[in-house]
Amino acid sequence: MAFDSSRLDAALAALTAFDWGADPGPLATIDEAVVATHGGEALRADLERRLLGVLAGTASRAAKEYVCRRLAVIGSAASVPGLARLLDDPHQSHMARFALERIDAPEAGAALRAALATTTGQRRIGVVSSLVGRGDAGCVPLLADLLNAEPALAIAAAEGLGRLASPEAAAALAAAKPGPADAAILDARLACADAFLARGERTQARGIYDAIAAGVGPTPTSHRDRALRIAATRGRLACLDRT
Amino acid sequence: MPLLVSLRGRIAVAAVVAGAWAAVAPMAAWADEAFAAVAELVRSTDPDLRAVGLERVRDGLRGEAASIRLAETLLPGLEAACQPALLAALADRGDPAALPGVRSLAEAASDPAIRAGALVTVAALAGGDDVPLLVGRLGAGGPEADAARRGLLLVDGPGATAALLAAARGAPRDTRLALIEILAARRVTAAAPDLAGDASGDDEALRGAALRALGQLGTAAEVPTMVRGLLRSTAGQQRDEAERALVAVCTAGRDRQRAAEAFLGQFAGAVPDARRQLVGVLGRIGGPEARGVVDRLLADPAQRAVGLEALSRWPDATVKDRLLELLAATGDEKERDVLLGTLIRIAPLPNNTLDDKQKLELLRRTMDLCRRDEDRRRVLERANAIRTVDTLRFVVPYLDQPALAESACLSVVELAHHQQLRDGNKEEFTKALDRVIATTTNAELVERCNRYKEGRTWNRKAPGG
Repeated sequence: MAFDSSRLDAALAALTAFDWGADPGPLATIDEAVVATHGGEALRADLERRLLGVLAGTASRAAKEYVCRRLAVIGSAASVPGLARLLDDPHQSHMARFALERIDAPEAGAALRAALATTTGQRRIGVVSSLVGRGDAGCVPLLADLLNAEPALAIAAAEGLGRLASPEAAAALAAAKPGPADAAILDARLACADAFLARGERTQARGIYDAIAAGVGPTPTSHRDRALRIAATRGRLACLDRT
Repeated sequence: MPLLVSLRGRIAVAAVVAGAWAAVAPMAAWADEAFAAVAELVRSTDPDLRAVGLERVRDGLRGEAASIRLAETLLPGLEAACQPALLAALADRGDPAALPGVRSLAEAASDPAIRAGALVTVAALAGGDDVPLLVGRLGAGGPEADAARRGLLLVDGPGATAALLAAARGAPRDTRLALIEILAARRVTAAAPDLAGDASGDDEALRGAALRALGQLGTAAEVPTMVRGLLRSTAGQQRDEAERALVAVCTAGRDRQRAAEAFLGQFAGAVPDARRQLVGVLGRIGGPEARGVVDRLLADPAQRAVGLEALSRWPDATVKDRLLELLAATGDEKERDVLLGTLIRIAPLPNNTLDDKQKLELLRRTMDLCRRDEDRRRVLERANAIRTVDTLRFVVPYLDQPALAESACLSVVELAHHQQLRDGNKEEFTKALDRVIATTTNAELVERCNRYKEGRTWNRKAPGG
């Protein structure tokens, strides 16, 4: 289905000055175009190009956020450079990640992995979260390297590996050196074991549960150790019980 | 050739058997390991680990074989202190395959508390077959009898109710007494015909239990028996209980209409002395048919007292006009007291047919008919059951009358207790509460006034507390 190009141009012009609280009516034309281009590769590429034009220009923050939301739906590898440029922007980073997390192109994952080396602080933690959100298996070594970073980042990396719950992620967590994220690493290891068990990979799951129980020892002294022992024991029993 | 076929067949069978064995053998190994791990945890002295093991007993180790091992291998060898928890977990697990092991413990454990726990688990897993075991322990006393009673309340397997009925029929007196209560609590309506003999029998305790049970289970068919039982009951608590049971059957039972008709038939055929004993039920049943009977009694000078007594127990305000009419006509002070008291009681009843305005109007008329301050105080104190601002306006003027002021104070405070009413008429209530503070000598009422004025609530003391 085609869309009216002149109406779309007018809507994109209106979008440039769009701000939160303003009448979103003109944006409906863009939304209609998103729907209308479904299945039409050329039309969709044209729409993507026009939206990227807004993103690269001096449009308002609200307008750029709107563009990111639409690129999350229609974006392709072509959108990645434009979005990647925003990853270290304090105002746009989260919406750029929102789009990159959802764009089904390996370039998006590569851009996020590259951003791990260039971003800092909260934005870097956000990039970790987006990589995990994409289920990006290639980020495991990068996250493993972050397990001894400053605490907030190390915790985010540990949690991310726990969510990925792949054998590589579990191995990275098991090999982690003691550091500020120890508690998060143990939680993540349990998350991996639970995921293995849910997938029927009992041997791998049991290995983790046994290791955690052994780490806690027979007489845990803190509440946390008691909780860990209970979790590990429950997991171990669940591994044994195949009924 | 046949030999070859036969050999092939044997080889095939052997292969199938070997395959099946191979499939079973590793399964048994992991089952053993899982069972051993759970057993170790259940035996643990660490409460955390024991809880994890018991959780697995409840929800894991599925299958009858595991249930049997838990009940027959783990349970008997467990320390006594750990057995109750495993029994409870087996009950939650709900697999009857555990019954033989649990039953053995219920019969053979040396500790009565363990036997009691086992009985409850038997009940949770059992059907009718285990009812005799539980019934047999009703006479054991102590925790076992309590457990058997609890167990018989919850035993729910096939044939349980029929087994209970059969057990009750042939049970010795004390056991039957307990079983009657259990049948009533389980709402076994089929037990009602069996209770007839007890309900009108010589044994007071059995009679009381049967009447109470019939109050929950009875129908019109049991009403004559219940009437006979009531007439045999001694005045006081026994009679009150018998009355309550009959009223329940006639007003809330499965066939209450027919039960009420049956009662009225019994009442009509009763001798005068018996009628005096049945009058409480007649009044509390209420309704147009009972009203007709009461009117006939009132018209007969010899039965008038019985009719008045019935009217005084009426459950709603449908008799208000009759009461007012009788009150206007009577010159007898005793009758006047009864009629006035009844009007004061019924006017604000929640289940009567009057709206709040009509209820208040009836109380106003009743107040006008009062000649003694004692009655006026009763009207004022009853008024607060009508939770409207008009009631407040009715009560407040009496704050100025020293003989009635305390009752008026109490009613104002009770009305103010209801936050919605109080907040909806804040100014009026604040003024009234200030007047109560200035009037009452009751420190608790003053405290309540102050709390309500500040928008706070007040926790009513528990009865007897």
